[in-house]
Amino acid sequence: MKSQNSTSLKNSAEEVERFNIIFRIQHVVMFTTFLLLAFTGWGLKFAEIDVSSWWIRIWGGPRTAGIIHRIAGVTMILDFIFHVLYLGYLFVTGKMQIRKETTILPLPKDVKDVVHNFLYFLGISKTRPKFGRFTYAQKFDYWAVFWGMFIIGLSGLAIAFPIQASYLIPQGATEWIWQLLFILHSDEALLAIVFILFWHFYNEHLKPEVFPMSWVWLTGKISLRELRHKHPLEYDLMLKEKSEEEEGG
Amino acid sequence: MKSLALLSFLLLISAPASAFANDFSGCIVCHNSMAGRIIYNGKEIALKVDADRYQASTHGFFSCTECHERFGENPHAAPAEVISSDIEKLSKRIKQKADTDAVALAACYKCHTETYNQVLGSIHGKNIADKKLSDGALCLDCHGSPHYITPASDRSSPVNQWNVVETCGKCHGKEGLAKKYGIEVNVMKSYTESFHGKKHILGHKKAPTCVNCHGYHNIKSTDNPSSPVFGINKIQTCGKCHKGANEKFVAAITHKEAGPIPHYAEKGLILLTMSVIAFTVLHVLLEAFSDIRDTFFRRRKEEDEDEESEQHIP
Repeated sequence: MKSQNSTSLKNSAEEVERFNIIFRIQHVVMFTTFLLLAFTGWGLKFAEIDVSSWWIRIWGGPRTAGIIHRIAGVTMILDFIFHVLYLGYLFVTGKMQIRKETTILPLPKDVKDVVHNFLYFLGISKTRPKFGRFTYAQKFDYWAVFWGMFIIGLSGLAIAFPIQASYLIPQGATEWIWQLLFILHSDEALLAIVFILFWHFYNEHLKPEVFPMSWVWLTGKISLRELRHKHPLEYDLMLKEKSEEEEGG
Repeated sequence: MKSLALLSFLLLISAPASAFANDFSGCIVCHNSMAGRIIYNGKEIALKVDADRYQASTHGFFSCTECHERFGENPHAAPAEVISSDIEKLSKRIKQKADTDAVALAACYKCHTETYNQVLGSIHGKNIADKKLSDGALCLDCHGSPHYITPASDRSSPVNQWNVVETCGKCHGKEGLAKKYGIEVNVMKSYTESFHGKKHILGHKKAPTCVNCHGYHNIKSTDNPSSPVFGINKIQTCGKCHKGANEKFVAAITHKEAGPIPHYAEKGLILLTMSVIAFTVLHVLLEAFSDIRDTFFRRRKEEDEDEESEQHIP
């Protein structure tokens, strides 16, 4: 990217790196464990349905499926912790800065973008909203994982290691906390699966412009043409920085 | 079995009555082929005893009068044989549980004395023998028809690991019974929805059923301090599987209805899930429609721009 100049930036066939290999590995670990957790957990959640017994047998029976579920769960939590630590490292070393065009943090503009986009869908607005590095749809996807990690991850740890968890439970809470944990784990997991199925699958797989899938997860690269279409604010910022760099150097 | 029936029939016509009166084949020759039912003391009674199944059962080598003691001589005319006094006494205590022959129901005591005593001391047994009520399980309510009892390890036994929940549920799944005795109404539902129940349904061999926590022959009310699920006793009971179980841990499993916090948390989560689904589905559908609209009815401005800019590149 550094070797490129502003003229080559306009060349739409060229690609820039969107996610480095470390982020891509985090994503692969995340979706692998997510699928394992969803497949094994689904059978337990709907155990009373006949087909669940058959489904769980495919995963090696209830005992093995339980072990897979626990290992995948712990791996996912470790992946999440690594992600947060890695972000911390990138900030501390100045390799990542918070800017309104590139940040994944939710901003008031995202709400405006949602409204704007709906107006576009309905034909009221003739233009699409201009997105930064992360569209509100991607931010929604990203923060859903955080929400899930805290709710499902913590309740899952408590259920997987109940004896250890029991020492942390306040005395007065025992009457309701276990049932709350069971409900949180199971209902939020259902929410996560349904959300991924509708939101992530449509946006990153089924949408005509990306079908069968967006390849960014594998290559980490995005073409400048695509960047300009999908993330114009980031594209503009990139152009501006390039020209400033050239003026400075 | 045809040969046995034929043999029995030959015995029936050739031998003097007293010679086979105590013999299995003497009774079974008729009862094996009796398909009908009769009304006896207001109850509908099946007369058939399947000889094949009987002989394959645990007690299949008994002669009929081993249990049906009164029917020693002439089975249908005068059931008045002298029987041992403890069986006689016991049969009177449990007679409301017997459809036909209370003596036969008490006869289990002859071999299974200790077990029978445990049952009589249990909440089930006391309700029957002491309070003279017909609610409460006696031998046959759990083990099934007396003529076809098989070991608990047999998959077809009602007290087999994979059948026992349903067997308990015959009574404990009834709301009326639970309300009458002031016990938890939704025990079956809460078990099925619990991790234990779900794993059991999926075939986890170590997942506990009713009996693993509550016991069986000597089952006690949860208010009874000697019950394995009475208050502090749970620590030991849960500890059978969960090493290190403590007071705060054992609160995790209960048949009680969820309190207000879990209840409203669940309602809130359902609302959240529904809202998210509504939003995402609406968004996805509208976006898909707008994509179709753009593809067919509008030329994309951005694409025009793109083509232009591409043309400028040398």
